[in-house]
Amino acid sequence: MNRLKQLKPNDILSSTAVKSVISLLIALLIGGVILGVSGYNPLSCYGAIVKGSLLSPSALINTLVQMTPLMFTGLAFAFSSKSGLINLGMEGQMFLGGLAAAVVGGLDLGLPMIIHLPLTILSGMLAGGLYGLLAGLLKAKFGASEFIVTLMLNYVATFLCSYLANGPLREEGSLMAQTKTVLPSAQLPELVGGKNLTIALILGILLCVGIHLFLNKMALGYEIRAVGRNQIASETAGININKVTLTTMFVSGAVAGLAGVSMSLSGNNRFVDGATAGYGFNGVAIASLASHNPLAVILSSFVFGALRTGSLALSMTQRIQPEFADMIQALVILFVAMPALLTGLKIRKRRAK
Amino acid sequence: MGIESLLLTTLRMSIPLVIAAMGGIFATRSGMMAMGLESMMLFGAFGAVWCSYLTGNVFLGFLTGVLFGMVFGLTYAVLTIRFQVNQVIGGIALNLFTVACTTVLMQFVWGNAGNSPAVNSLEGSVNIGILAEIPVIGPVLSGMSINFYIAILLIAATTFVMFHTCFGLRLRMIGENPTAASTLGIKVRGYKYLAMLICGALAGFAGAYLSIDQLNMFSKDMIAGKGYIVVVMLALGKYNPVGAALAALLFGFSDALQINLQQMFSVPAQLVQMLPYIVTILVITFAVRHVKGPAGTGKLPEE
Repeated sequence: MNRLKQLKPNDILSSTAVKSVISLLIALLIGGVILGVSGYNPLSCYGAIVKGSLLSPSALINTLVQMTPLMFTGLAFAFSSKSGLINLGMEGQMFLGGLAAAVVGGLDLGLPMIIHLPLTILSGMLAGGLYGLLAGLLKAKFGASEFIVTLMLNYVATFLCSYLANGPLREEGSLMAQTKTVLPSAQLPELVGGKNLTIALILGILLCVGIHLFLNKMALGYEIRAVGRNQIASETAGININKVTLTTMFVSGAVAGLAGVSMSLSGNNRFVDGATAGYGFNGVAIASLASHNPLAVILSSFVFGALRTGSLALSMTQRIQPEFADMIQALVILFVAMPALLTGLKIRKRRAK
Repeated sequence: MGIESLLLTTLRMSIPLVIAAMGGIFATRSGMMAMGLESMMLFGAFGAVWCSYLTGNVFLGFLTGVLFGMVFGLTYAVLTIRFQVNQVIGGIALNLFTVACTTVLMQFVWGNAGNSPAVNSLEGSVNIGILAEIPVIGPVLSGMSINFYIAILLIAATTFVMFHTCFGLRLRMIGENPTAASTLGIKVRGYKYLAMLICGALAGFAGAYLSIDQLNMFSKDMIAGKGYIVVVMLALGKYNPVGAALAALLFGFSDALQINLQQMFSVPAQLVQMLPYIVTILVITFAVRHVKGPAGTGKLPEE
């Protein structure tokens, strides 16, 4: 009780959760202004977004479907930033993860589901993880800035997957650039029949909890956080920086790969060229809104999953592109990254006194 | 493949990189990272096409491109200086914002979110008279637009301003040690804002070159990482105008090679399109290990 009494308005303002909510509100406000200037009624647009994402059972399920890959990419970025690394390669890691899962899932090995499905998931994680590890290696061995390398690797992965899905791995006779469907033994079981909502959602939530425990309870998790806080002090304390860099990039890439896996093993049950575009970069916004807390990623991926679903619904009736959701997310990244956002408010209050 | 066509494409591909790199020099030398270049280029490219679409005037198009670039240069400066946003995160967020925003705007303006209709663009090349008779160089030079000469002028102008004027000296001092510069009474923040305005103007110009000189339309995410490539080029060129221009030639060459390979042989387009990005990764891994940017990058004067 005593602590509660001492809680002043300024303390509430410095809490990260409050800051995230304020950032989201400012971003939505700016989005509304842009809509207003373009001649749309912002209130009715936002109304349509909420209606199309939350207010009916099927809308809610669509939100959960969108939330699933977003949770993985958000978790991947949050994890890498715990050690102070900026992994912007989720887009590419997710492409490769999705493609690898589609290939392994399509192999007719006569395996039962209990072996084939985990094998498929693991292959996707491995593909994404190794791709992340490549950037980690260049960082650890040559000091190459990981965010530029991962950004460039995104383009390489996109072109590579596009080539493979158009060429060697293309389904015969298909009009689209896509692989053949994965076998039923490698498809993720659905939670709700015929709605694309699979157990990947549950796996994602469990993974968020698992990563949270790993970071807070395990020695390696502690080392990762220590390096993120102060690299030089950690090095002096005997932590192997290179080991931390490699582990972080591998795990982050593997988690991002899972985002691709979750999309390849549900819905169309195949890798479709370009279908996963955008989800990787959305992960940056999700992790920002969650202040890089793995548990908060669950909530923030739900928020942005709803925004994405609602924007898709809105684009069906209005001439507003679903990229509107990406715009809001970019603004959220900016406002969350502003240390002066709330201190600015504080100073003004002090002056008012 | 013909050496002339390869040389011509190399120069054409290098022009936007050179122009944007000169903007990047102003930014990095004043201690600002050039992470927002991509957004300034993309918005410049969009503004140029938009204006050319509305007025049909190419010159006004270039002017609008420059203005739009300046708006984002200023935005990046306000965010990172006034609001202390981390320069890398701020740059990336702005880039994501412009990709999404231009797509939404394209749908509003043209009803098509993939690309704009064809607009008036800069056509024809500068007549170089008797010089066109020189073998190899002649045909290459006579295929260049006015912007090729502007790019060369910009290299000279940037070198002059940066190393032979008081303004350049102060800018470099701010980049190395903002606190010392501030002690001398130099308005550090003002200079940084000015540097970012110049950077935005040149990046917007480079974007306009891509959309209404090299092409005649705007398409979704048409900068495709060139802004980040310029950041790597700047380091490769040791943050010197001439060095950065030479680095731009290397990247222009890898782009030209990939285009020529596509035309000459039946290699799958996607496989050779990776080339410039792989070159960038190799450069950042092996060639710029010991290049350090100005010592005061990202710092503001202590108060």
